[in-house]
Amino acid sequence: MRAKLWLELTGFALLTLIVAALPRFVSDFRARELAIVGMYFIALLGLSILTGYSGQISLGHGAFMAIGGYTTAILSVDGIYGHQIRDLWTIPIAGVIAGLAGLLVGVPALRLSGLYLALITFGIAVSFPQLPKKFDHFLGGTTGKILNLAEPPYGLHTTTNNWIYYLTWGIALVLLLAAWLLVRGKAGRALQAIRDSEVAAASSGISLARYKTLAFGISAFYAGVAGSLYAIANAYVNPDVFPIILSVYLVVGLAVGGLDSLVGLIAGAGLIYFLQNHADTVARWINHVPALNLDPKQPGIPSMVFGVVLIVVMLLLPTGAGGLMRRVFGPLTSRLYTRS
Amino acid sequence: MGARVIFVCTVVASLAVTSAGARPVATPGVSANEIKLGSSVPLSGEAAIAGNVARGIEAYFKYVNDTQGGVFGRKITFTYLDDGYDPGRAVNNTIRLIQQEQVLAVFSSLGTSNNLAVRKLLNDSKVPQLYVSSGATTFGRDYKKYPWTIGYIPPYSEEGELYGRYVVKNIKKAKIAVLYQNDDYGRDLLAGLKRGLGSKTKSIVASVGYDPTSADVQPQVTQLKAAKANVLMVFAFGKFSLQAFNAVSRLGWKPQIFVNDVSSASALMAIVPQKAANGSISIVFGKDPALPLWRNDKGIRLFQSILKKYGSSINSRDLQDGYFTAGMATAYTMVDTLTKAGKNLTRQSVMNAATHLNEKNNPFVLPGIVIHTTPSSRFPLTQVRLQRWSNNSWHPFGKLISAKP
Repeated sequence: MRAKLWLELTGFALLTLIVAALPRFVSDFRARELAIVGMYFIALLGLSILTGYSGQISLGHGAFMAIGGYTTAILSVDGIYGHQIRDLWTIPIAGVIAGLAGLLVGVPALRLSGLYLALITFGIAVSFPQLPKKFDHFLGGTTGKILNLAEPPYGLHTTTNNWIYYLTWGIALVLLLAAWLLVRGKAGRALQAIRDSEVAAASSGISLARYKTLAFGISAFYAGVAGSLYAIANAYVNPDVFPIILSVYLVVGLAVGGLDSLVGLIAGAGLIYFLQNHADTVARWINHVPALNLDPKQPGIPSMVFGVVLIVVMLLLPTGAGGLMRRVFGPLTSRLYTRS
Repeated sequence: MGARVIFVCTVVASLAVTSAGARPVATPGVSANEIKLGSSVPLSGEAAIAGNVARGIEAYFKYVNDTQGGVFGRKITFTYLDDGYDPGRAVNNTIRLIQQEQVLAVFSSLGTSNNLAVRKLLNDSKVPQLYVSSGATTFGRDYKKYPWTIGYIPPYSEEGELYGRYVVKNIKKAKIAVLYQNDDYGRDLLAGLKRGLGSKTKSIVASVGYDPTSADVQPQVTQLKAAKANVLMVFAFGKFSLQAFNAVSRLGWKPQIFVNDVSSASALMAIVPQKAANGSISIVFGKDPALPLWRNDKGIRLFQSILKKYGSSINSRDLQDGYFTAGMATAYTMVDTLTKAGKNLTRQSVMNAATHLNEKNNPFVLPGIVIHTTPSSRFPLTQVRLQRWSNNSWHPFGKLISAKP
């Protein structure tokens, strides 16, 4: 067991080093792109705790991201009693508010499972964008809210993109560590027990109510932090910034990353960003196939590329990037276990 | 043990945060033989079809590069990126255009929210935000706060006002029902209509908003019919406009319909029940390639020959698609602007040229329209005509009228 722990810690240290060094090797704009990947990664970590570990499906995590984004927008533009809050400090608040919303959703979720829960959460994703339209004085309506452009804090000499990158990935690494500690501890075992069999878990003395709502709350906290960072990076929120499809993309990212593989989720996050924004590049690759000639600039083609790539990825990697990693590193780690 | 692990990892993570490095600043996209322009448009999602505007622009620039050697020997490179009509992605695309593609100006990006989202960013970095593809009044009006932004098409509010004035002048005992999209776009039109009606605002007997995410507007139309109106304003977008015509026909209602410009595409009007569509009134400022009226027009012929030769993956339907013509009209103005900006091209000189337009011969807009701006009047296209739908086609009528705020 000890060997596995040290292996995982070494992996984490390695990841940290890569994250720290990466901006030096890529362009300034790439750093921004990687930052957005980091935001998806944070949201996926939360979704993994909920879906991957506790087995509750959510099709509404885009709404929790929206709650985080709007919290940051309101606090940094309108402030509290006219006192604006620096965007950096709104991030934890956004997480907490989204987390509380998650706890609230978690309560009815206790009575539902599987498909029915997915439907309820999808309902949240569908109905949330109506709120800013309904309360447009407070939430800005469809016009949205324009935030101050993100700037590195005073004294830090770097570009905005690099600042957002380090901010996002700094938070992402801390939250990855927190998620890792959670899932390998008592709570994680309880969640997995619930996922595998609710009856068995309850009869071993695990409080279903407590752990299921907790999973929802924590998961929504992660999404809220991601949404807050997304709002800061774009300096703009309106209902279309968190479209219904975002919730679906997150589930896609989770499946591609591997349901219960925390690090694998980076691949899932990368894929949902890449397919949305670089479908033209992918189309050019696909065009190497003889007799195929896609024009990536034709309306509709980017969506088609997204779908096709997704099908191919899931056919090749049915267990996601996490499954692949296990298959590659599995022989190595199992040897270590048997030795210790 | 656990606590120490957390501590070490947190320190490493925070080291990562603070070890940031500096990068060079972007330079505007002008070289001895190239001008770079960029745009963010939807090529996926619900509004994907509007992305054809950018494809029209691209074809026109290629034509100018090929036949005139570009502008002052500089060929125009036009990069347009898909935003799926999501403002978040529009921000990302715009940053990519400025920093990665290093464009001289962002040009003809599509959508009200998408342009609002990047206006501050572009103005802070002093990058021209030219000929915004949105009818929201703010892009032409708020130039004092946002000097690097300029609109293009007539504002929605003015369009509404024109319908109001037309009703006052031509329809006695009008009882107006309004179906409007419940967002800035629909409300702009409604507010303009009220202004145009002036003292006759009371002739609006019912106005019902629908949400852009709703499924069908038939309930709203039924509600409007119950108000016994004889005029119906359809301030609806895309499928909702289509549903409104269907509902009117199904209910056997026969009001005088006014349909707003963005939903008046011939392709759309042709597929709704003609019983309801016939006699509908709208405004027009661009030449619609689908109309028999323009079949032998020089501008439309030029449009079709350019699209055939320089467009990518063009089919016969595209040659009748008004989005492509709209794109070419804007591209024509853009080339005009770059020419006016002179050989010594800077972002400032482009902006100066864009605010001193006096373009009388744009072949892709109605004859007689002058595209005109001054530093304090930033609505380039403010002349329109009314048009009436009959026999499966729009028929412009009356003189050019002003839609200037």
